[in-house]
Amino acid sequence: MSLWVQIVLTGLAAGSVYGLIGIGHTLVHRLTGIVQFALGDLVGLGVFLTLLVTAGRGPVTQATAASGRFVLGLVVALVVTTGIGAASYLVVVHPYLVRGSTMGWVAGTVAVAFAIQAFLGALFGRPAYVFPDPIPFHDVGSGGIVTVGGASFQVRSLFVIALGLVLAWAVTKTISSTRFGGGLRAVSEDVTGAHVVGVPVDRYVALAFGLVGAVAVVIAVAAAPSGPFTTQTGTLLGLKGLVVALLVRFSTPWAAFAAGLGLGVVEAAISSGTVFGHGLGGPAYREVLPFAAVLVLLAVRERARRPDVETELG
Amino acid sequence: MNAALVQTRAALGEAGRAARAGWRPVYTVAALVVVLALLLPWYAPGWVEIDTLAGWVYLALAAEGLWLAAGLAGMPSLGQGAFMSIGAFTTALLTAHAGWPAEATVPIGVLTALATGLVIGAAVIRLPRLYIAVSTWILTWLVVLLASEFPGISGGAQGYVVPSSLDPTAHYVLAVTLTILLVVAGIALQRSSVGVRLRALRDFPAAAVRLGAPREKLLLGAFTASAAVGGLAGSLSVQLAGVSDPNEFGPFTAFKLLVAVLIGGAAFAGAGPVGVLAVGGIALVVRGWAAAGGGSSAQLEPLLAAILLLLVLGLGSDGLLPALARFRDRHRARKPAFPATGAPFIRRRRPAELSAHGLRKRFGGLEALAGLDLRVERGECIAIVGANGSGKTTALRALSGVMELDGGEILLNGRPPPAPAPLAWVDAGIVCTLQGTAVFRSLTALENVMVGAGLHRRFGGPFRTLAATPKSRTESRQVRTRSLEALRFVGLGGAAKTPVELLDSHEQRLLMLASALAAEPRVLLLDEPSAGATAGDAMRLGDVVRAIKHLGVSLVVVEHNVRLVSSIADRVVVMAEGRAVADGPPEELALAH
Repeated sequence: MSLWVQIVLTGLAAGSVYGLIGIGHTLVHRLTGIVQFALGDLVGLGVFLTLLVTAGRGPVTQATAASGRFVLGLVVALVVTTGIGAASYLVVVHPYLVRGSTMGWVAGTVAVAFAIQAFLGALFGRPAYVFPDPIPFHDVGSGGIVTVGGASFQVRSLFVIALGLVLAWAVTKTISSTRFGGGLRAVSEDVTGAHVVGVPVDRYVALAFGLVGAVAVVIAVAAAPSGPFTTQTGTLLGLKGLVVALLVRFSTPWAAFAAGLGLGVVEAAISSGTVFGHGLGGPAYREVLPFAAVLVLLAVRERARRPDVETELG
Repeated sequence: MNAALVQTRAALGEAGRAARAGWRPVYTVAALVVVLALLLPWYAPGWVEIDTLAGWVYLALAAEGLWLAAGLAGMPSLGQGAFMSIGAFTTALLTAHAGWPAEATVPIGVLTALATGLVIGAAVIRLPRLYIAVSTWILTWLVVLLASEFPGISGGAQGYVVPSSLDPTAHYVLAVTLTILLVVAGIALQRSSVGVRLRALRDFPAAAVRLGAPREKLLLGAFTASAAVGGLAGSLSVQLAGVSDPNEFGPFTAFKLLVAVLIGGAAFAGAGPVGVLAVGGIALVVRGWAAAGGGSSAQLEPLLAAILLLLVLGLGSDGLLPALARFRDRHRARKPAFPATGAPFIRRRRPAELSAHGLRKRFGGLEALAGLDLRVERGECIAIVGANGSGKTTALRALSGVMELDGGEILLNGRPPPAPAPLAWVDAGIVCTLQGTAVFRSLTALENVMVGAGLHRRFGGPFRTLAATPKSRTESRQVRTRSLEALRFVGLGGAAKTPVELLDSHEQRLLMLASALAAEPRVLLLDEPSAGATAGDAMRLGDVVRAIKHLGVSLVVVEHNVRLVSSIADRVVVMAEGRAVADGPPEELALAH
């Protein structure tokens, strides 16, 4: 029993981060009709820019969290990722979007991802880094860990889940109730029409990309302090967020967040090795099985559906 | 037996004559380049590393494979890295564990990649393009994770030793030969019926499906073939390297190959090798520059090269090959004069009657069709008129089988049309055009018409096309002739080789009619053929529509232009709120207005 409680708690903690990134992916896609392949790398960039400003390229301890440089680091990270988000639209997405070249903007955002990876890889050579927690969760329980019914969990994972709910709500509101979101919905449905009724299309879409860059830093602050962070962690998180978003077909932030939590629990269950027996369990299967399952599920679901070529122009 | 030999000899002789007749100077240049490329190891200066070069040529092979999916079929796949890895791991596993000779593992590597391609293809072909990119990206990472979590598959950090009996020079020659064969096959495929329809699907899926292009079969075929070539390149690459490396072909390879196809010019066969040449060449320059500066890394150079090229391409180019083609065509006359009058077009199929009974369709809260009854007799032309939102276009979509209905029945000559809709419906003679100028932008006028004319081919599959079997070639000639007839019929006979983007909108409307006509319709459904046309153009369009009617084709036309309607229609159906509210000859309609 307590094993299952532990699996669910561990899973929800990890899954909430996947869910956050899934929300980010649905946000970009719902607003612009585009997939930002560099989202996970922007999260990584947010983490490492903060560290860079706080303590250079060296190691950081929890005590640094209280320092002014850390706050400055967060601000710098927020500004830079927002800028890179918006710039990636203007430089590598927009030129291809106007020509209807999906291949072009896909390659463009993937190029941004690899550029960020190369930058981080060149600057940060240690195997893993610690990101100090801006909120002192480690003062609660024993070092931030609470035990319930024989299962233990990090208090901060409750915060991450709460943040996910708030973000899902905020994103839903942004899409449905603001002038900005309404304008962008018009853009994602009919670019020419949006132009005609006076929506400043390029500025709005660039803003949306910038917004997602900012969201990446929020996700970074939520996710990074939970454990050691490597220069590749962001990439992998971004990928899991993409798996989650694909599973729910980029439909709503709520669905993406729920799917993220689900993915986390499934991973934890596979990882514990007790669910599928020892033949198909254990940490090695943690990512591989869900990824394969999502692809197969997609195949099965799409075979059953009638294709819709009507909405797909050019 | 003897007769077969004689027949084969005759066919070969004919092929030889055709090749001589079709020979152009550019082929001589191409042949020279090929020979020079093949002989490179024997005259290259000492600093050229043949094994590195061979590795790049295998990448070019994989890129040209990717072109089949990404360029020809317009599926932006980020999965080519995965397919190369799958080919490489299969070869490494079989040689290391089962003791197979490396060469014998190649077919298994290809088959494994092909099987994976089939599964992923099945998942993605029905999805919009960006989902294709997302799913294949996840696949590429899945293979990376598999290799890193299960060292048994890839040989881990040590790698498996893969002994090859070929030396680097032999690998180089093999790689160049395979790449050239694939490019030649790509060029042949691109011009064939299959290729024309794939390109039509890439340009405008909804219009291509209405002309009977079997979307799923063609896309799945292109994707799977692309995966198989990736597997081939991966399997041979690992033999060239001599040892397997789990990180050799990952997401970065997938990215690099996609950029290569994009740089080369996605619409052109040969984009893959040209793009790889560009990325590789600039990476070399970057290396020289970095070496002068003191720092360098194996991945950074191609990354910089790729980003640089993407930025340049973003400034407004379509890629290297299209730029070259424009340079070649710069002196060509833009547009030949067309004959004003139509030429005869002989109907091949008997006209049919089409009827709809109680059609119902809801979109959310909106009832678009509320029990529509409709009937067009053999050889009759009916026009559907009505206010915006009265369900006219929905009615046409229902009649053409592209939309699932909530209720009601459609009968062709009193029987339900064959399944599956819409593909078999088009084949049975229900052909539909889209509103406005729904043409395929990257095709010539003749190729546009061939999309429709290819519908009834029996020997036009990719394998028969590539093998150029006598039946396939005879049929190709017939399709061209028939397409030309259709072009002349609408008065565009002189524009056969003109790229569609050079035609004006009136000519594009006529072209759309010619494409539909070439599909040999028994019932033709036209959605606002005159939308956006000037009054004069609309009347000229009316002449062509009347001529089509005189061929004996039954017509259902949705149209706003009252003058056009009264000049073509035998009967007018007025729609309101999803059903037919009035029905009568056009004179009565004119009175009602």
